[in-house]
Amino acid sequence: MTTKILYAEDTVDLNRAVSVVLEREGFQVTACHDGVEAESALAAEAFDLAILDIMMPGKSGLDVLRDMRATGDVTPVILLTAKTEVDDRVDGLMAGADDYLPKPFAMKELVARVYSLARRNTDYGTGNLSYADVELNAETYELKARNSVRISPVEFELLRTLILHPNRTLSVDFLLGRIWSDEDDADEATVSLYVRYLRSKLEGIGAHVTVSERGGGYVLEEVETV
Amino acid sequence: MQGDVLMGSQETIYGANLAEMERLREEVTASLEVLRRQICEKTAFDPIEHILSRVKSEESMRDKCRMRGLPETAHSALVDIRDAIGIRVVCAFRSDVYLVRDHLAHLEGFEVVEEKDYIKNAKENGYRSYHMILRTADGRVPVGCEPVSAGDEPSRGFYIEVQLRTISMDTWAALEHHMKYKKQAPANERLIVSELKRCADELASTDLSMQALRDLILEEL
Repeated sequence: MTTKILYAEDTVDLNRAVSVVLEREGFQVTACHDGVEAESALAAEAFDLAILDIMMPGKSGLDVLRDMRATGDVTPVILLTAKTEVDDRVDGLMAGADDYLPKPFAMKELVARVYSLARRNTDYGTGNLSYADVELNAETYELKARNSVRISPVEFELLRTLILHPNRTLSVDFLLGRIWSDEDDADEATVSLYVRYLRSKLEGIGAHVTVSERGGGYVLEEVETV
Repeated sequence: MQGDVLMGSQETIYGANLAEMERLREEVTASLEVLRRQICEKTAFDPIEHILSRVKSEESMRDKCRMRGLPETAHSALVDIRDAIGIRVVCAFRSDVYLVRDHLAHLEGFEVVEEKDYIKNAKENGYRSYHMILRTADGRVPVGCEPVSAGDEPSRGFYIEVQLRTISMDTWAALEHHMKYKKQAPANERLIVSELKRCADELASTDLSMQALRDLILEEL
């Protein structure tokens, strides 16, 4: 599974240099040059990690981060700041940043922090999850709303991925790469079937949540009537 | 649902109503067989796996009256207690349960007096079934069920208790029944209770997967 990184930095040379280093490390990098561009990239697809420069034209990295967290996006974020003021670091962490790095930084330190956060996301990101009235137990695979059912490991991975990126359309390719990366036979029909399973189970437990199809991808969202 | 009532016994708690009760039991099951054939022709899927029905045995009914502190009379058996006639419909798929439910809810000559959806609202222990109590709505009332005391409810018709469930819910309920009615509680009762709940939730999950698959297959036909 390739870790997908969104990287927003307005200094063109630095942007290019960091992107090259990260790509050489095997990460898939989407480079943006201002906050607005970063925001539309974040809205268009799901990332495993975002690196945001604080000082950017259009929209600051801090504002991008705040909007992400306000919409329930829990993607890990590293903030890059030219300022080493305590207040800026505190603002960043309070706004929901997972880590920060003061500029200028050593490339290998950035890479180490990226690895650290990416690892945390896969190793420790298996706690209990919830979305609207749905609870998903990571140990027992119990899916619960008004009722409960036990779902299968693949269904669990799919729902976990959807819950970690709520209200965001996840492409079939992203889901295939995330959940079925070891299975060559898996294709669009596989994803579609597992989405059906989840829908059926969410409805079966009386959840006010469903998985909808949108623009060739899938999105977890709330529904009013069950 | 054990043992049928001995026919022709003058001692029966049901008094002169037994023949009518058997007739009603057959009327409802016959209507289910008709529904079954219609759906089979339309979808090639048999919605019903099997139907069990019975009139509660003399002994069970008298036991139940004693347990509930009721006099052993026709009024107790046919008005206070509402499962003298019982029908259990076991379906292949979850949606079939609701199909049968809709059929019974619109059955001519009967009205639904109570419904409990323990499928959408499973019991704490994992029990799942759809319960309905029907009552005849055509003026037929049991004989000899006149209220005895002032507080007694007058008889308005014959009651029929219906339980609807899928095969997996039925299997689960049968096993749970064994455990619940064992004379001595098993030593590892807590483990068994929690494992039964886990199995109920896994079976429900499989039922829902099977439903999704069936819907997909029917869509593509």
